[in-house]
Amino acid sequence: MKALPDNMHVLTGSYALDALDAQERAEFERHLQHCPSCQAEVRGLRETAARLAIARAARPPAQMEQRVLAATYRTRQLPPLTGARLRWGLRRTRVAQLFAGWLAAGQSRPDSSQASRSDRGRGNSWLRSPRLIGAVAAASVVAAVGLGITQVSTQHQLDSAQARSAAIAKVLDAPDARIEDASAPAGGAVTVVVSALQHEALVTTRGMSPLSSSRVYQVWVMNSSGARSVGLLASTSHIGQLLASGVRSGDQIGITVEPSGGSPRPTTTPVVTVPLTT
Amino acid sequence: MHDMNRPEIRAARLDPGPAVGEAPDLAFLLAQVARGDHQAFEAVYGQLAGPVYGVVRQVLRDPAQSEEVAQEVLLEVWRSASRFDPARGSGVAWVLTMAHRRAVDRVRSENAGSRREQKVASEAVTEYDDVADIVETSLEGQRARRCLDSLTDLQGESIKLAYYGGYSYPEVAQLLGVALGTVKTRIRDGLIRMRDCMGVMA
Repeated sequence: MKALPDNMHVLTGSYALDALDAQERAEFERHLQHCPSCQAEVRGLRETAARLAIARAARPPAQMEQRVLAATYRTRQLPPLTGARLRWGLRRTRVAQLFAGWLAAGQSRPDSSQASRSDRGRGNSWLRSPRLIGAVAAASVVAAVGLGITQVSTQHQLDSAQARSAAIAKVLDAPDARIEDASAPAGGAVTVVVSALQHEALVTTRGMSPLSSSRVYQVWVMNSSGARSVGLLASTSHIGQLLASGVRSGDQIGITVEPSGGSPRPTTTPVVTVPLTT
Repeated sequence: MHDMNRPEIRAARLDPGPAVGEAPDLAFLLAQVARGDHQAFEAVYGQLAGPVYGVVRQVLRDPAQSEEVAQEVLLEVWRSASRFDPARGSGVAWVLTMAHRRAVDRVRSENAGSRREQKVASEAVTEYDDVADIVETSLEGQRARRCLDSLTDLQGESIKLAYYGGYSYPEVAQLLGVALGTVKTRIRDGLIRMRDCMGVMA
């Protein structure tokens, strides 16, 4: 599968070695946010780079230990991250691991430490649990509503969120789920998780460049016979998520800028398209 | 990993063992450090001060400056231990990524001007083995060196210049007289090969 723009993915190595300048580092980190396979690769290459450091271990000056230890008694520690921020962060990490798990299927490597072995064990059992995948999907629905913090306030919203999260979990859980990534030249990125078996595609956008209040991003399923609207992206949130049903191999996900309220069919050239090569 | 108890912290401190990267209890120790445990921090220091100082000095060269940056990094480990997330990588990688990043940032901010260019011209590629006092006892380090030696010349030189030299990949490309795209690719391919050679978890 061709999931990543080559020019970005090839930077995983240079990023892991801190060989990008500040601007390219920032660009790559934005890309990394929504590129689970890059995250997985960067993680492995960082572990590798750490071994390069170990290969150059040197005896520190004798007085350094006392200085550092003394400094710890004068230095207040950062509090842990708590609450919604932590939970969202962890869930996002787990979703990333889930994606990485598909991509790396059959490529597991021996772990180098006890701690990571147990982490991996947890990750795997988590992967096998549809209930937890559902919880994660629910978290991402909430995130789509308002970046993780907004509470779903009414029973109606809760029900529809639960229905949606179940539908999303089904796609995430599909044995044939694949990931396609694309970036919009004007800013922002799209990740599509598509299952040919379910005929569904979960479209997640991140950091699309802001539009004026009279415009909105509209997501379409496009093919040779035309375009069908999937829905509008919430203009206020950094992350957007929509589930497209009835998709077929050969379809494309396209995102256009439309007048607020949306259009029955696209009126502008898509700012980004993602082919669904299932 | 949380079933370990206090005596094992002491054991870790008294006998850090040679294989720094394989110390099984670093994630546990960092969790203790996050709770303000100075003794656990001493154990972390014992395991990681050598690699931290070594890699910082490899990049910065100047011993006084290297000591200063290594101290900053180790104090940062104390300060931000609560932010270490074992689900996102090993403790060793967390600390050494921080150390290398900080050394490189120091180089880049100081050498924004022309001094950097002169150094690029005058430094030979082979210099990366000449830092004295390299601790030879680490099995993991020896393995990393063997794996580094197994790469193609261009992969190995690109990685050494980028990581040990602290050069950006465009600088590496210029030093080696090859295209930018070639360097990016060689760095990634070489690192992947090293990762597989060392059996690092992906």
